[in-house]
Formats: sequence, structure tokens, C-alpha cells
Amino acid sequence: MVKAERKPLAEIKEAIQNYTRILNVGCGGCVSVCLVGGQKEVQLLNTQMNVMLQNDGRAGRLEGFTVERQCNRLHLVDLDERVARFDCLISMACGAGVQLLAERYPDKPVFPAVNTAAIGIDQEIGVYEERCRACGDCVLGYTGGICPVTRCAKGLFNGPCGGTNRGKCEVSNEIPCAWQEIYERLNAQNRLDDIKKLRQPMEWQNTVRRLIVQEPYRQRYTGPKA
Amino acid sequence: MYAIVRGPLVWIAILVFILGTAFQVYRFYALTRRKAALALAPVSPPPPGPAPAEPVPVVEEVPLSLVQRLRLSILGTSPVTIAVTSVFHVCLVLLPLFVLGHNVLMDMAWEISLVSLPEALADALTVVVMAGGAFFLGRRLFYPRVRAITSAYDYVVLALATTPFVTGFLAFHHLFDYDTVIFLHMLSGELMLMAIPFTKLVHMPFFIINRFVLVHENSFGRGGHRVWR
Amino acid sequence: MNDANTAAVDCEAIRAILDQRKDQMQLALKVCAHCSLCAESCFLFQVHDGDPRYMPSHKFINSLGKLYRRKGRVSREELEEIKEIVWRRCVLCTRCYCPLGVDIPEMIALTRSICRSQNVFFQYEDLPQV
Ligand code: HEM
Ligand code: HEM
Ligand code: SF4
Ligand code: SF4
Ligand code: SF4
Ligand code: SF4
Repeated sequence: MVKAERKPLAEIKEAIQNYTRILNVGCGGCVSVCLVGGQKEVQLLNTQMNVMLQNDGRAGRLEGFTVERQCNRLHLVDLDERVARFDCLISMACGAGVQLLAERYPDKPVFPAVNTAAIGIDQEIGVYEERCRACGDCVLGYTGGICPVTRCAKGLFNGPCGGTNRGKCEVSNEIPCAWQEIYERLNAQNRLDDIKKLRQPMEWQNTVRRLIVQEPYRQRYTGPKA
Repeated sequence: MYAIVRGPLVWIAILVFILGTAFQVYRFYALTRRKAALALAPVSPPPPGPAPAEPVPVVEEVPLSLVQRLRLSILGTSPVTIAVTSVFHVCLVLLPLFVLGHNVLMDMAWEISLVSLPEALADALTVVVMAGGAFFLGRRLFYPRVRAITSAYDYVVLALATTPFVTGFLAFHHLFDYDTVIFLHMLSGELMLMAIPFTKLVHMPFFIINRFVLVHENSFGRGGHRVWR
Repeated sequence: MNDANTAAVDCEAIRAILDQRKDQMQLALKVCAHCSLCAESCFLFQVHDGDPRYMPSHKFINSLGKLYRRKGRVSREELEEIKEIVWRRCVLCTRCYCPLGVDIPEMIALTRSICRSQNVFFQYEDLPQV
């Protein structure tokens, strides 16, 4: 599902500095699953922000409310009356949720508290790996289920390119060449015809695959492990 | 009957408790496997070009006071229950090991004994356990959310866990007929021991397993190392 | 034995799924102390003003727990009730907290699979539209 990472507290604090009654809206969907924007994170962020505001001698206060899914109007009904009491909203949902909030409450400023990072898989508690960039023209059918957009450094739709080097990518010999993997999988399935089909190239920038490790769980994956 | 409860049943109860618990733990290990090491594909380096002017800031921690952190935990939502249950459980587990009466019996059987608590203190802690039991009974009867998931079974288990303390208390104070009371005390203590591996009291070993051994969001320590197969 | 009208349900199929996961699931059902401490960790419980039916343990006791108690012999109506529980009262946000470490989302997820095996599942159209 959608994976996100929390924004730095300083950025959130700056966003809300002109407001005193602040409602932090969590989402019980994807961001809850990836441990960044569910009820528990709403409560944690509120405690942290309230401490920061108090330390700064500011009057502002955050309250929290978590809805089933922020990307669906149906689930915002519960919010309607509540929102009236607040000057601004913080959303811990993905960008889609933030936008629906902003659309439904046009007179309330809405600030995101997370950076929507990826569509990915759950590797471990708090560790998520990007697998899809919603390119809108999925080619997995002829690439043996390996996404060239997120796995190939150049996001090539036809590969491998001349930079493939004994199974590694020319960008770094740490990184496997996605198209080599595609070739191997198709070969094993007797589907090499697929790799010969030419696809229109896409304009891609910034195709760095993202890895999300949630800060509070990071210590589980660093240092010696028992 | 009295002879059975006094003699063989004590041993049977202790055996059932130890073997039953061992079986549950064994079964857990048979049903789970060690978590495979986290194997992440290497992440591509950022595309060539100027590096971002400012390094991406790490999510900084706001130092929260102990009280603030506890408020965010289960203590914040159910402070009274957690306080009562902690005291209740510590007494429940430790008290039987340090009661003078038990140590005298253990000494006679195996010639070993643990330090005994002063009798007055043991007696007071027994009252604490009974009060805890009364608290849980009250919750079951009057707190809607607990009532909603309570069945006769829960009362039976609560009784199983607390009767040894009630009868132990009565025996210590020689209330009612001592022989009957001590008979009931031994019987109820034995039943409770035997019930631990096979009723919801099995939460004693499984609390440790679930929270320390299994991989879970709320695992203690470094996050556990086993998963169900 | 219960007198549920099981004619329209493939109880054997449900039984097969239940048996497959029996050891793990019955242990989880057994370990639960019925203590209600998981209540507040569910945001739906909080949003619904502490309605006990939204408490995580209430949900699995009355869905998966019921299926195990009945050994899969449930009626169509009962399956529909279970569907309400595991889809409408739980969104599988996977964030319930149990002090004893009972894995509640796993139980709800299994119940959903069982419902699907009987062609009982949540449909968006079932909701009132706004
Ligand atoms: C298994 C066989 C058991 C035997 C033979 C046994 C025997 C005894 C005896 C002889 C006493 C001393 C009574 C007196 O001072 O006259 C005693 C006290 C006591 N027993 Fe047990 N007991 C057994 C199991 C248990 C269990 C399983 C528990 C609790 C989990 C328990 C809890 C207590 C307590 C709390 C007291 C002290 C009561 C007080 O001082 O107020 N006993 N027991
Ligand atoms: C040693 C590790 C143990 C831990 C960590 C533990 C933990 C817990 C927790 C978290 C609860 C739920 C909270 C509550 O309602 O109190 C609970 C309930 C309970 N425990 Fe334990 N427990 C342990 C051992 C035992 C033992 C040895 C017994 C008795 C033989 C026992 C008897 C009970 C009872 C009767 C309840 C239910 C109270 C009620 O009716 O609500 N526990 N335990
Ligand atoms: S708002 Fe975003 S995070 Fe929440 S359920 Fe919808 S897509 Fe997922
Ligand atoms: S090709 Fe890759 S990025 Fe595009 S839709 Fe498929 S998985 Fe997503
Ligand atoms: S699931 Fe856990 S917290 Fe909830 S009632 Fe059962 S033992 Fe208590
Ligand atoms: S998984 Fe279901 S029961 Fe658990 S907290 Fe989320 S909505 Fe509540």
C-alpha cells in the first residue's frame, strides 16, 4: 500500500505557528499500517507538539481524531461537526487524504504531517520497500513481474541498456541490473519473446527506489542483533 | 479422599503444571520458525546532479518526561487496572513461594526451602490478592466493556485463581473448621496449578513468549525473533 | 449442538480452513484474558464513544471465536453478522495493542478469508452513499 514517512517536527511546527486550535487527523488506512499516521502516531505527535509549543510559551494546542480512511468522503462525515471548533488541520494521511480534507473544508488550512513516499511492500515491522511508482501504464505483464520503473536506475521500458555489467547496473556494482533479472525470469518461464516487444519509452526523472524505515523502529535493524 | 489430596495429588498437580507448561512452550516452538534475516535489495544511489543544498533532516525526538511517555502507553488509558493488576500478579506469583506454611512443607518433602516472608506480611499480601480478585470480579460485573466479553468461564477461572488465597487465609486464621479449610486449600491450589497450562491462565508463559519472542509491533527488547510458520 | 440453519453454507469448507490454522488461532483465543485492555488502542472504539462492540477482543470473540466454538457450523445470517464485524467494525489497520501479545489482526484477517470462501464479503455499494 501507500508508504509514508513523518515530516520533521520543525516543519510541522512552522506550518501551524499562526494557529492555536489545531486538529490532527489520523487515517486508519495505509499510513496506519506503515506505522506513521494511525491513532498511536497522532497521540505521539500531539504530545510532542504540545510539549514544544509549551516550551516556546505558545498558546497553541493539538487535539486528535482518527478516521477510517481519509481518501473517502464517507469517512469524513464524522469530522464535519468537529472541524468547526478548530483553526487549522494537520493530516497524517497520504497526499490523497490531505487533499480530500482540504477540499471538504475549504476555509480551513490543512497541513500534511507526513511525506507520502511510495507504494511498497511490508518487509518488516517499520521497514517498507518501494515496488511501484504508479506510472499509469503497468508493464509487469511482460517484464516477468519485475517493475523496471522502480528497479531499473533509468526506469527503462526496454532493456537492458549498454550499461549492464555481469548482472549489475553501471550506476553501481552493488545494484543488480533489473533488466538482467527480467531476462532471467522470462527465460526461466520460456517467455523471452516478451522482452523483444518494444514499448514506448517514458519520461522518467528521479527514479531512486525508496526504502522507508520508521524512526521509532530503526533501532531494531541497526547494530548487533541478538 | 483427604489422603489423595494431601499426598499424590500434590505431586500430580505439580507435574501437570510443569509438563503442561513445557508442552505448551514446546508446541509454540514447533509452530513457529526463526525469522529470516532481513534481505533488502540495495537502494539505488541518488541520480547524478547537485546534491540537495541542505541534508534531509532526521525526525528529531522531543524529550518527553516519564509521565508523558507513560500517558501514551496503556497506563494512560487504564491506569487503575494496570496498577491493580501489577500488584495482584506480583503477589499472586511470588506469595505462594514465600509463605511459611509452604516452606515448611517443602522442607519436609525435599529438605529445601526458600526464605519465608514474615507471617504477618504474607497474610497482608494475601488480603491484597483477595482485594485484587474482588476488583476483577467487580469489573466483570459492572464495567460494560468487560461485561460484554465475559462468560461463565471467566468467573470460573477467576475463582480458580483466587480460591487458594481465600482458603489459605482462612486456614492461617483458623477460621471455620481447620481440617476442612486446609483440605479445600490444598484442593483448590492443586486445581489452579493444573489449570494454568490449559485455561486462559496459560497467559503466564505466553505473555513472555508473545511479547519477547514473537516479532510484533509491540515486542519488547529488540523486536523478537520468531514468526508463526 | 446448535440448531443454526446451515443449509446454505459449506460448513466443511469453513471447517477445513479452521483446522488449518487451529493450533495458532485456538491458542490465541485461549490466551486472551478477556480483560478489555485492548479497547482504547482501536481508534474505531474511541470514535464510537467506547461502544464495547468495537473493542478488538469483542470482535474476534464474536467472529473467529464463534466459528471455532461452532466448528464452522454457522448459518448464512450468522455469516452476515460476522461480515459486519470483520469489515464494518474493523478496518484491519493492524494496530491493536494487547498486553499479552494476542495477534488480533491476524484473527480478523483469517475470519475475512473464511467469509470470502462462502462468497460473503464487504461491498462498497452496501454503504449508504453521500
Ligand atoms: C499444592 C498444595 C498446597 C498445599 C499443600 C498448601 C498448604 C498450605 C499450608 C499448610 C498453609 C499454611 C496454613 C496455616 O498457616 O495454617 C498454606 C498457606 C497459604 N497458601 Fe497454600 N498450599 C498449597 C497450594 C497453594 C497455592 C497453589 C497457592 C496460591 C497460588 C497457595 C497460597 C497460600 C497462601 C497465600 C497462604 C497463606 C495465607 C495467609 O497467610 O493468610 N497455596 N498453604
Ligand atoms: C507471570 C506472568 C503473568 C503476566 C505478565 C500476566 C499478565 C496478565 C495481564 C496483562 C492480564 C490482563 C489484565 C487484567 O485484567 O488484569 C492478566 C489477567 C489475569 N491473570 Fe495474569 N499474568 C501472569 C501470570 C498469572 C498467573 C500465574 C495467574 C494465576 C494463576 C494469573 C491470573 C490472572 C487472572 C485470573 C486474570 C484475569 C483477571 C480478570 O478476571 O480480569 N496471571 N494477567
Ligand atoms: S487517505 Fe491515503 S493513507 Fe489513508 S487510506 Fe487513503 S490512500 Fe491510504
Ligand atoms: S510498471 Fe512499475 S511503476 Fe508502473 S504501474 Fe507497474 S509496478 Fe507500478
Ligand atoms: S485481546 Fe488482549 S487486551 Fe484484549 S481482552 Fe484479550 S487479553 Fe485483553
Ligand atoms: S485492526 Fe481492527 S480491531 Fe485492531 S485497531 Fe485496527 S480497526 Fe481496531
